[in-house]
Amino acid sequence: MSPRVRLVVALVAAVAGVYVFGYWVAQQNAPSDVRLFTQALYVGIAATGLNILTGYNGQVSIGHGAFFGLGAYTSAILVSEHGWNFVPTIPVAMALCFVVGALIGFPALRVKGLYLALVTLGLAVLFPDLTDRFVNGTGGTNLVTLRGAEVAVPDWYVWFPDPIADFFDEWVGAQDQWAYYLTLVLALVLLLGVFLIARSRFGRSLIAVRDHEAAAETVGIDLARVKVTAFALSALYAGTAGSLSVLVNRLANAGKVETFQLSIEFLVAVVVGGAATVFGPMLGAFIVVFLRDRIDNQDSLSDLFSDPNRAKLLSPALFGIALIILMYVLPDGIVGGSRRLVRRLGRRSRRAPAPASPLTS
Amino acid sequence: MRLRRATRYRFLALTAVLALVLAACGDGRDDDDSSAGGGDDNGESEDGAGDGFEIDTVNCGVDPGTVEITGGTIKFGTSLPQSGTYAAFSSILRGQQAYIDYLNAEKGGVDIGGTKYQIELVAKDDAYAAEQTFSNVQSLVDDDDVFGLFNVVGTKNNLAIRDYVNETCVPNLLAATGSPAWGNPEYPWLLGTFLVPYPLEMVAFVDYLENQKADATIAVLRADDDFGQSYSETLKALIADTELTIVDEQGYDPETGEVASQVTSLAATNADAFVLGATLLACPTALNEVAASGWQPITYMSGTCTSKTLMTIAGASGDAVLSVTPLMDPNDPQWADNDAMVLYKEKVAQYAPADTDVGNGIVAYGWTAAAALEELLSRVEDPTRLGVMQAARTLSDVSGIGLQLPDSTWSVGEDDWFLGENFDLVQYVAADGFFMVAGERLDLPGETEEITPENLING
Repeated sequence: MSPRVRLVVALVAAVAGVYVFGYWVAQQNAPSDVRLFTQALYVGIAATGLNILTGYNGQVSIGHGAFFGLGAYTSAILVSEHGWNFVPTIPVAMALCFVVGALIGFPALRVKGLYLALVTLGLAVLFPDLTDRFVNGTGGTNLVTLRGAEVAVPDWYVWFPDPIADFFDEWVGAQDQWAYYLTLVLALVLLLGVFLIARSRFGRSLIAVRDHEAAAETVGIDLARVKVTAFALSALYAGTAGSLSVLVNRLANAGKVETFQLSIEFLVAVVVGGAATVFGPMLGAFIVVFLRDRIDNQDSLSDLFSDPNRAKLLSPALFGIALIILMYVLPDGIVGGSRRLVRRLGRRSRRAPAPASPLTS
Repeated sequence: MRLRRATRYRFLALTAVLALVLAACGDGRDDDDSSAGGGDDNGESEDGAGDGFEIDTVNCGVDPGTVEITGGTIKFGTSLPQSGTYAAFSSILRGQQAYIDYLNAEKGGVDIGGTKYQIELVAKDDAYAAEQTFSNVQSLVDDDDVFGLFNVVGTKNNLAIRDYVNETCVPNLLAATGSPAWGNPEYPWLLGTFLVPYPLEMVAFVDYLENQKADATIAVLRADDDFGQSYSETLKALIADTELTIVDEQGYDPETGEVASQVTSLAATNADAFVLGATLLACPTALNEVAASGWQPITYMSGTCTSKTLMTIAGASGDAVLSVTPLMDPNDPQWADNDAMVLYKEKVAQYAPADTDVGNGIVAYGWTAAAALEELLSRVEDPTRLGVMQAARTLSDVSGIGLQLPDSTWSVGEDDWFLGENFDLVQYVAADGFFMVAGERLDLPGETEEITPENLING
């Protein structure tokens, strides 16, 4: 594709993106749909972080649901038990998860591949037990719930002069909109982070370590530092996502099945969207979240069975089938697949020069 | 451009997937006050229709005294597990929908102050995940405009929506769990159902055990969560002044349901009695393990396990197991000619999906819950959300509804908000496949509040 075409496409995509995500989602949708978009965004954040570890650095983790949970509990507990405002809890969750991620990253140096995956699985299973023991949730459970006032829109925009404050009130006044925009901003910042990492020396060392550890070492890359940092960063992303989820769900919860399912969801988002790409995991997250929602709420399925409950039992299976089809069609994820497509189109247009036709002259 | 066939198909598949995704396109936005988080301080404190309890509506987002039943239909919403590990509870929907269909079709609906209203129930699946319940409830209240919530399943699930329901002042009626947490006076918008509260089950068993063997030793197997904790904490409190002693207590993970090794340890103690604070599959599994070990204790099993499906899995191992129930067992021949039982079996066969098992206790529960809803609504004087909740808070002398035990009444007391305090201790007869009444009817109004450790109610 010629640079000019590429520029035009990028520009159009950018404008469309700004319109859709900046305006349409939060202003033209019912609150429950806005919440769905917010969920897709924070799952995307976690998937993007996991991508740093798994896609760029080749360390498979199926335990990131635990970091997500850690971030969620950090925010929930700071707000409900210590009276913090919500926004300041996010950097705390990030920092805590970074540190814990690094701590996990060190012993993870000793295991590779399948065994690392099993160790991280252990993490996903251990975390809920830890919350059962140490979290004093509501009703004797490990559930930490927040009141509406605790996740409400803070009125920071009263500092602005009136017309601007009114504008903010209209755009970000509802709680679901506020959660959405906050998540969107953080998602953009963190995506920029991955973009910069991918192009930096650190990014190249991540990939080098993934592809050939021995060679990377001989070139002078500090294996331990790279791998542990990758773990810490991915944990930071997952923790941010968990923290943001508290704004939407108004609770922090951990159960073995749920934490494990989250971990798998992140991994699926990475693979479906395209591992080792910047936007792939985010795209994958959107697909995973929306696909599942559509299938879960598919009423026409109920007509197939006399008992609508039967149809609901099928929905996880349908979701699985959809994913299998997708992976069969696009093995390197959506972003990977579209890159291949673009390259193929580029080759085609260069190979076939336009024939001179008497009609066009 | 001409593409190869394979590529074309790939495009098609991709487009199909993306189309599914984009099908979630927006339905427009309705930014009225009721969906905003903060809300105005709208209410004066309403003087309730009933006596004793007044619900303070000062902090409600929208004044519940102004949210009326409109048109000829009352819409209720519910969230329950219809898929996943706890999908067995979806049978509740069969029972309650059958009753509602019967009510609408044959009785014209529920009678509130002389006018008949049809009931509509919107059900959403949460796969027992608390976050999904919250999301479902928000969607039910905001998008589906339900008048109230009914029979939401699961303790954590109801805890997750408790604050939201309290702030939006939406009635959450007959929360389908026996947790003592529903007695918390800070949450007047939630009414627990008539299942025997878990702590009260222990009262029944301790009384029984003291009569059988006053110095018995007890071994306890309980779920590692609030549900299991209700049993063990209350049991310890109750036996404090008796000669009964707990010799061993083991916890099991409710998500995996693995109980084998715990039962082995408990069997080794050879205790006189065995308390099983478990639910769903863990119940029959534990009973089978106990039978296999050769240990023969006096066994008590949680009331949530008294379903035909589970007991069939236990088979002979379930023989002589004790439990409690506030309802008639559809498999018990002594109720075969009971009018309410005949009606239940007839109408479920008529209105529920063809493969519904009338003998399933979960279906029987759903049926009775819907009947309880009708009874509650019929006592409402003021057809607004506030009026309905006031009626719920002052509900008293409910009897003869659904499959409620004959000669039993359920009441909500001023300090004790638990309905299910009139019930039978029952014993399973494996050979005949039903639970037989084992002793005098237990009538313990106000006891739950008294005997439950306070942190379990107000925690």
